[in-house]
Amino acid sequence: MSDALIDIIKREGRRPSERFERSKLHASVYAACLSVQAPQGEAQRLADMICDIVAAWCATKPEVTSADLRRMAARHLEAFQPEAAYLYKHHKLVL
Amino acid sequence: MVKQTAYNYDLIVIGSGAGGSVAASIAAKNGKRVAVIEAGMFGGESPNWGDVPIKALLHATQLYDEAKHGTRFGIRSAMLSYNYPSLINWKDLAIKRTGAGDNRKYYEQQGIDTFHGTAHFLSPNEISINRRHLSAKHFLIATGSHVVAPDIIGLESVKYLTPRSVHSLMRPPKKLLIIGGGTTGVELAQLMAIYGTKVYLVEIAARILPQEDEEVGVLMERILKERKGVTTLTQTRVISVVKDGVAKRVTFNRGDIEKSILVDEILVATGRRPMVDIGLENASVAYTAQGIDVNEYLQTSARHIFAAGDVLGHSSHTHTALTESRVAAHNILRKEKIKPNYSGTPRLTFTYPGIASVGLSEDDAMKRDLAINKAMAPLNMIARSNTSDFRDGFCKIITDKKGVILGATVVAPHAAEIIHELALAVRHGMTASELATTPHAFLSWSEVVRIAAAKLA
Repeated sequence: MSDALIDIIKREGRRPSERFERSKLHASVYAACLSVQAPQGEAQRLADMICDIVAAWCATKPEVTSADLRRMAARHLEAFQPEAAYLYKHHKLVL
Repeated sequence: MVKQTAYNYDLIVIGSGAGGSVAASIAAKNGKRVAVIEAGMFGGESPNWGDVPIKALLHATQLYDEAKHGTRFGIRSAMLSYNYPSLINWKDLAIKRTGAGDNRKYYEQQGIDTFHGTAHFLSPNEISINRRHLSAKHFLIATGSHVVAPDIIGLESVKYLTPRSVHSLMRPPKKLLIIGGGTTGVELAQLMAIYGTKVYLVEIAARILPQEDEEVGVLMERILKERKGVTTLTQTRVISVVKDGVAKRVTFNRGDIEKSILVDEILVATGRRPMVDIGLENASVAYTAQGIDVNEYLQTSARHIFAAGDVLGHSSHTHTALTESRVAAHNILRKEKIKPNYSGTPRLTFTYPGIASVGLSEDDAMKRDLAINKAMAPLNMIARSNTSDFRDGFCKIITDKKGVILGATVVAPHAAEIIHELALAVRHGMTASELATTPHAFLSWSEVVRIAAAKLA
């Protein structure tokens, strides 16, 4: 997965391509879980799991958007932490 | 965002199967710049793994099977056998002769650009294909569907077959368990049984072919059991699968009793799910896991994006996908939009005897609380049944109280041909009386239609 090239479309319409960084996704999912007062251990576990799932999905696609990553992560996070998934999906992280 | 004047193509078709290829050809003939994207083999499911190869094999094996049982006609068949590699060669020839099976040139010869890879929408007018970005004024999504494996413990860890991969076996297995008693499962059960495989057919519903009327499932179960030695396990749920040496042990629950059997291969022929994982959200195309939402003109929620075929989730017939592809092409090219007319579309199962139905089934009519008349004519009433020495089958016709034909089911040799007069009747609102008074040739299988219609006239 670390070799996958992800096309990130910024809201202003600029489109630099970036290499997927698992740590970035991990940090954002982890932060979302902490935002809803999930215990650190659970937040870590969920972030690891979501990253694995998203990485496996990305392996089937040469290019995706950052919105795709966010949607995929939120969709799978919802099964375990619906509140965190909502905050994550709508960019509403409060720490 | 891509500027409106800078599109690479007038139309990009995602999927080169029945749902996409016709539209691509029509648009190209109308002078449009067209590209076709295909993630798998060009031509899609139907010519490569679906209709064409299965029916080619069914034809050959049916010839073998009839000859094997030809003693009663004076045919000596003691030394009759088949050569499996030759059967597969025949299947490959049938695929090649379609011209569309895995043939990229078929599209390029029409001036259509082709790309091999997985398309992914980046924005409403742009897709990514192998990290190359292509833009178009219109899109047609015809990505089809794929087999979905049921949630069975251990299934993912054993290698199981699908309707696509079953034909790549080196030889037919000695024992095969098929999960799914629908059209594909029953067709493959019959095919594998003719090869000499011991087949177990598992279906969770109360009968095989649950989408057909009850008489169809009951008759086919009896035929498969008596003539092909197929063991049908209805109202059965497969619980787990484990490797047992070189074989596979399948545990299932039937009537609250758990049993297990040892088989060589497992074939999953359960439901299909539309392939919608192509970044549709980036294009603002509304969809669910059951398919893409379209209006009556096959337009998605993004008005410049259309969809056709299996990806819509409501039918898995090639002829329906072809019709939708034509309609989508028309609506893309013309201002006046048209709607696909599904009335009179036949549904077929290529077993022997064949199964064909059109319009409403009796179950459909009951669910809608419709007042109907129905009549059934058994096949053994007609002269052809005698000369062919084949008696298992029937024609069933359903009408409303005024005698207008609402639906029909035929189980007979050549059912796929017989059904078309009934499809015409359903589409044009003909009455049973009109059908009954139309001459039907003596010694044709279609005489059974006249007899059934006469009962309702």
